[in-house]
Amino acid sequence: MASEHIIKSYDEELQRLDNTITQMGGLAESQLGAAIEAVVKRDSDVATQVIEGDVQVDNLERDIESLVVRLLALRQPMARDLRQSIAALKIASDLERIGDYAANVAKRSIALNQTPPVRPVYAVPRMGRLCQAMIKDILDAYVERDADKALAVWLRDEELDEMYTSLFRELLTYMIEDPRNITACTHLLFIAKNLERIGDHTTNVAETLYFLVHGTPLAQARPKGDRSSLAIVRGGPPRGEVDDDEETV
Amino acid sequence: MSADITITAETPRAPTLGRPIVRPQEPAVVAQTSPKVVIKDVRFYYKGYEALKGINLALQDKRVTAFIGPSGCGKSTLLRVLNRIYELYPGQRATGEVLVDGRNILDSGQDLNLLRAKIGMVFQKPTPFPMSIYDNIAFGIRLYERLSASELDERVEHALRRAALWDEVKDKLRQSGLSLSGGQQQRLCIARAVAVKPEILLLDEPASALDPISTQRVEELIAELKSDYCIAIVTHNMQQAARSSDYTAFMYLGELVEFGDTEAIFTHPREKRTEDYITGRFG
Repeated sequence: MASEHIIKSYDEELQRLDNTITQMGGLAESQLGAAIEAVVKRDSDVATQVIEGDVQVDNLERDIESLVVRLLALRQPMARDLRQSIAALKIASDLERIGDYAANVAKRSIALNQTPPVRPVYAVPRMGRLCQAMIKDILDAYVERDADKALAVWLRDEELDEMYTSLFRELLTYMIEDPRNITACTHLLFIAKNLERIGDHTTNVAETLYFLVHGTPLAQARPKGDRSSLAIVRGGPPRGEVDDDEETV
Repeated sequence: MSADITITAETPRAPTLGRPIVRPQEPAVVAQTSPKVVIKDVRFYYKGYEALKGINLALQDKRVTAFIGPSGCGKSTLLRVLNRIYELYPGQRATGEVLVDGRNILDSGQDLNLLRAKIGMVFQKPTPFPMSIYDNIAFGIRLYERLSASELDERVEHALRRAALWDEVKDKLRQSGLSLSGGQQQRLCIARAVAVKPEILLLDEPASALDPISTQRVEELIAELKSDYCIAIVTHNMQQAARSSDYTAFMYLGELVEFGDTEAIFTHPREKRTEDYITGRFG
């Protein structure tokens, strides 16, 4: 914090809010890391730990909510303090969603472990690493109140979207090639979608941070790389059980 | 037959991909009316001391402008310039121009009684005259107008109603104004100011000596009165400025540091000094 309040305990409360956000973000990031590990190493124990750990992320969100309510009620924050309070609420809710997605990745990894391995699993950790890096960078940017860094994270989401689109295409191919892959590939698709959504929540945090620093919303449309919603499968499956008509995915 | 997966590059039919686009947003702007008071390069001197260092500002008609800033920043001084009340004290003088409806009220030709009828002022401490509630209101009217008893009754009632005091005092109009509570006395003073049909109301910390309920009554009154008047309010209570004004001016050491929409001032002020002051960081 650049300068101090006349009332010291006010500073302490705002600092505690910041610390809790950082702690929550760190936890969400490590939950995600462990969930990816559970997928890659086919480790159901790690997955279980992640699922059980989600409640901690939820608890931190509640802590942040009550800290903010307290600040609003007792301090009547203004200007940058007001923006920090509101930003903390919004960021906490994004981090909570990130935690949920990490837990869902872990859940699906347990299901995946009961199916034979599928090739593209390596693309998932790549997406996961990018997500983790984005979360780590956005937390650093938050601590440093660095809007430029936030903007860089915001722009990187396009890369994540592109990875998702390409993985989506790849998984579809595997399913078409061999329907026995469908269970595993469907779970992988959802895992990839979860990671893609984590990227979106990270960009939300970036936008909130931008607002916190500048006091105005980020007035620019974000480049989008996720075109999987436009995917269309032309031609029938190899065994020809379905009509040749286009199948919208 | 092998399947072919197509991902169309662009499609006009799917414009809402992903999250909604963040649209550029302008901060809310209070609809401007017309400037009632235009302050041009106003400087004020207490003997040799320059208390206002060239203030430029416009007060919009039918809007509330709040003046905030630490003690001694010149906000009350500026208010005192607007109705030339400082002239009651020797050694005080103002330079520059204060245009009210285009006329410079700092001109020596300005009739001060007419000016003060046009520009009412209410002070921090309620200052009822030591006379009945009725006469507190009627006193000012009698100075400027010759009315019949029934017309005068009507005007007194109207002013008291306007100040949201009528229901509380209608049965004791002959009692002394000093018998009222602090909050009622302050509203009586506002009624007295309103009674002579001013165009501009200057409120110098009108609620700082009042309890929270009376404060809210006064704030509600300000909100009602602004449909008819140009109101300037000096307050040390930031929340009060935020709640009751359309525009806020932050002054410091005799200078106008920042002026803008109240919403903008309290959510993202441009000047660091403003932000430090309103967030309680002033050292």
